[in-house]
Amino acid sequence: MPTRTVTVGSASGLHARPAKIFVEAAAKAPVKVTIRSGDRKPVPAKSMLSVLALGARQGTEVILEAEGDGADEILDSLAELLSKDLDADHV
Amino acid sequence: MSEQLLDPRAIRLTEKADDRDDAIRRCGQALVDIGAAEPGYITTMLAREQSISTYVGEQVAIPHGTLAGKDLVKRDALAVLRFPEGVDWDGEPVTVCVAIAARGDGHVELLAALAEVLLDEDQARELREATEPETVIRLLGSIQEETKQ
Repeated sequence: MPTRTVTVGSASGLHARPAKIFVEAAAKAPVKVTIRSGDRKPVPAKSMLSVLALGARQGTEVILEAEGDGADEILDSLAELLSKDLDADHV
Repeated sequence: MSEQLLDPRAIRLTEKADDRDDAIRRCGQALVDIGAAEPGYITTMLAREQSISTYVGEQVAIPHGTLAGKDLVKRDALAVLRFPEGVDWDGEPVTVCVAIAARGDGHVELLAALAEVLLDEDQARELREATEPETVIRLLGSIQEETKQ
């Protein structure tokens, strides 16, 4: 299964705002994407609560997985999103 | 974080709000009332909400300030406001707001712990239907435990 390991780039971790941006992008994906951290169970990347429950900080490694048409492209774009500092373009 | 993270005075279970912004102002005021934030923090909460919704699911929103608002936080605290009649949150019905004031990045754990509670359907329902502050403290008390270090 196509997989990407990404280090969370947002300064304040994968919390409210960065998590929301990521979840909204994952929800638009035509294939099912999961995210997990460490040995924990993979959870749906489009579930805000599941992503928040990961408690991922800046520097935490997370693993994205997806299967199906275009999975690689989707994982690439989601991985890029996660590695960016989504707090940087803040109001 | 201190044991004062969830001050009983900031648990308000019979609130009414005209709209989303009114609900956020009430949440912010609760944080100001218990001495956790300066009044200016409320403005940053409204700005945050305009930037991106803090709705997380299960009829729960987690209003909080922007990064710029951190300087207006006097101590880490939560406020839990319940709106029995519901509030239209950009098309999503919201019954409970868990407002957050946090100085550092301790709220990553805090949000994770809250999310764990909400992922449990029974606990999420209990929170939505809570009429006693004790219920809220029992449900969210674990958050304080987990973030105490």
